[in-house]
Amino acid sequence: MNRLLALLLVVGVTYLITSRVPPPGFAARGTGLALGFTLIAAALAGEIFGRLRLPRITGYLLFGMLCGPYLGEIINSAMARELQFVNGVAIALIAFVAGTEFNLQRLRPRLRAMLEMGAVIILLMWIGLWAVYWAAWPWLPLVPEADALQRLALSALLSTVTVTFSPTVTIAVIAESRARGPLAELVLAVVILGDLMLIVLFTLSSEAVRWSLGEAPLAGAGIVSGLAWEIFGSLAFGALVGSIFALYLRGVGREVTVVLLGVCALLSQLGSALHFEPLLAALAAGLVVENIAPPQGDALRDAVERGALPVLVIFFAAAGANLHLAALAEIGLLAIGVSALRLAFIRLGTHLGCRAAGLDSPQARMVWMGLVSQAGVTLGLAILVASEFPGWGEQLATLTVALIALHEMVGPILFRSALARAGEIGKMDEHVPAPRARDGAGEAEAPAQA
Amino acid sequence: MPRPFEKSREIGGPDPIDVGVSDRRLPLRALVPRLLRRRAALGLAPAIAPAVIFVPLGVLMGPAFLGLLSPDVLVHLDAVVSVGLAALGVFVGMALKLQSARDRALLGAGCVESSLTIAFVTGAVWYLLTKWGMPLTLPVPLVALTLGICAAASSAGLVEASSDVRHRTATRIADLDDALPILVGGAVVALVASTDAPRVSDALVWTGRTCLVGLTIAVAGWLLFERAHSDAERGVFIIGTLVLLGGSAAYLSASPLLSGMTAGLFWTWTPGRAEQMVRESLRKFQHPLIVLLLLVAGASCRPTVAAVWLFAPLVLFRLAGKLAGGWVAARLLEEVTPGDLGTYLVAPGLLGIAFALNVDQWAGARGGTDILTATVAATLAGEALAMLLVPTKGDAPTEATRTEATPA
Repeated sequence: MNRLLALLLVVGVTYLITSRVPPPGFAARGTGLALGFTLIAAALAGEIFGRLRLPRITGYLLFGMLCGPYLGEIINSAMARELQFVNGVAIALIAFVAGTEFNLQRLRPRLRAMLEMGAVIILLMWIGLWAVYWAAWPWLPLVPEADALQRLALSALLSTVTVTFSPTVTIAVIAESRARGPLAELVLAVVILGDLMLIVLFTLSSEAVRWSLGEAPLAGAGIVSGLAWEIFGSLAFGALVGSIFALYLRGVGREVTVVLLGVCALLSQLGSALHFEPLLAALAAGLVVENIAPPQGDALRDAVERGALPVLVIFFAAAGANLHLAALAEIGLLAIGVSALRLAFIRLGTHLGCRAAGLDSPQARMVWMGLVSQAGVTLGLAILVASEFPGWGEQLATLTVALIALHEMVGPILFRSALARAGEIGKMDEHVPAPRARDGAGEAEAPAQA
Repeated sequence: MPRPFEKSREIGGPDPIDVGVSDRRLPLRALVPRLLRRRAALGLAPAIAPAVIFVPLGVLMGPAFLGLLSPDVLVHLDAVVSVGLAALGVFVGMALKLQSARDRALLGAGCVESSLTIAFVTGAVWYLLTKWGMPLTLPVPLVALTLGICAAASSAGLVEASSDVRHRTATRIADLDDALPILVGGAVVALVASTDAPRVSDALVWTGRTCLVGLTIAVAGWLLFERAHSDAERGVFIIGTLVLLGGSAAYLSASPLLSGMTAGLFWTWTPGRAEQMVRESLRKFQHPLIVLLLLVAGASCRPTVAAVWLFAPLVLFRLAGKLAGGWVAARLLEEVTPGDLGTYLVAPGLLGIAFALNVDQWAGARGGTDILTATVAATLAGEALAMLLVPTKGDAPTEATRTEATPA
């Protein structure tokens, strides 16, 4: 009751301010109001969803959508854009947390099967969707006049954008439901593998589109070196930053929350400036911290808990506020059709992937439920396409945004329900591995607070 | 046993570094090694006021020199500045915990001292500006009142176990004398932010609204803090409340210091542990926020002709105003001599810069930057004067003090 009253007060005061007073001269003046309002109200909305056994991040997203510029207008479009300033840090933080969840010693026996399954799912989805798009091209509202070669390249590009998953949503659902187990690990492995493979596929297919449209010659060596820089450079950069952070944790260990957020800002900002993939770099940093120099005690765990919650709340509420519902209304039927097709290929890929990798557990068969979400990566690719190929690229972006609007709402709910069915929710707190003997610490870490 | 005059607000109150190196009168050859031996977040102790270090650093990082804090970056830091100002306001509000008749007497003395300083500086600057005929975009009385408020803030340094009763009293008064300038400053910010012809009645209405918004947000926070399910969730609520206090004030073109002070006051006066929780959370962020405020203030300064002309009178009138205000206020108390109190309050602290920064947010191009630059320079000069004038524990008390002072 008290929380509801607080929520009403916060919503009421923000609504009165934004509805009675014209927005200030420049957008940055509204940032604080949007940020404070979002932090409190979205956190409370997420908690209501948690009580209903739904993912909290769906609560943050829905809150953003309801209060955002397309519906409630408590957060106007300028404020919604300003809220996205946390995106870089949030993505890096989420990937860092994912890296620390990958204990290679624990995963080694199943790693090969997991990667095999992931490769089958991704390739089958990509090839299947490519074939369907190629066949259905004349009816798609993109470039109906494209010749056969152009259709091949364009279908490959569209297929790449459609296949993408959302590592951020996947990791966020796992983190907020404190899930640990075969399903969570399998979905995480497939999603991250998908991210790696799709970087390569996107680069290749967009080059192919440019070449087929006569906009640029084929640049083989350049593509390979660019990809190598992006993938291996990201991993090396992340590993370096992770090593320094691990040293800090062991040697100093103070103000860990602030330093962790600083590390994430460094990974995202410097990484982007150097053309690295922030997600991969942060993942590598987390992997190094967890597997090579694991911290002693709970300092990092506490820091992640303290730092992650506000960042996740703002990140997902901002994502909800910036969801272009107009795109869904404009191209909704086509988006639903493409979404159904994608879902069918995800299920088929999971089925065949399980068989190919020899994984026949109930958890492995539920992996498809964790692969539905799409968010930032997909949107990023769509924006790239729209900026590089004006005209049809913008139409493709509209379709992609509509797909994201669908999958961002449905995906987390499906994944959380799969985790619940697999009995993995809350296991992160129950089973915490003891620190390795070489650390010289004998006792297990204390379970973190939920 | 808690000490009755424990200083609790000034840049975060007791801190290991503050306790470690705090003697203003250490010889340089003894001070430097002690500073170097310290490991601390700020890397310095109150022997040097933070403004002395971070404002020049801000100037160096600003558009005039290195350009690290470029105008674009400063625009984006605007939201953080508002949050920092609100946090400072919360500290002032929480310092107004009046537990006894003596506390109320100290508040009265603080208000008398600050109101006299405001009146003296405002009147003197108004007279001078009118005589000089200096071309200003903002109305002369408004500029004079703004400078008066900037001058009213004071800081009497950190209280230690060995501090004498004069120092303890002065420190508590320095905590309490910020309340009135912030309240008056709420109306001044409304007048400054108004692009139409400023009207006092409108400004008073806006001040009331700012307090009301601050109070509503404080009530929402109060309902949430103690009922959070985890420390992480409580952290989100506290940070969210502070950001909302600063953000709503920024959106309304109002004073975040005032909305923050209203909230701090509410949490202090209501039952429960809200005040303690906010204080603990703020302890983690106060140093970065204050450093950021000072860096932004330094980077925003412009050495214009108007700023240079405003600087010297501000230093002079502030010193005179503080001495006169302290002299009158000390007559309401028993334990300090009229001559001592004003001297203790010469160090300006941070609040003057914070208020000038707030004015600069709304009227930078209309003279706000001149006011900020003059205030920043006067603060640095005030800190230098304080090094020379403020009595330290090593000084022998005067005869009058020995007879009048009562043990704390």
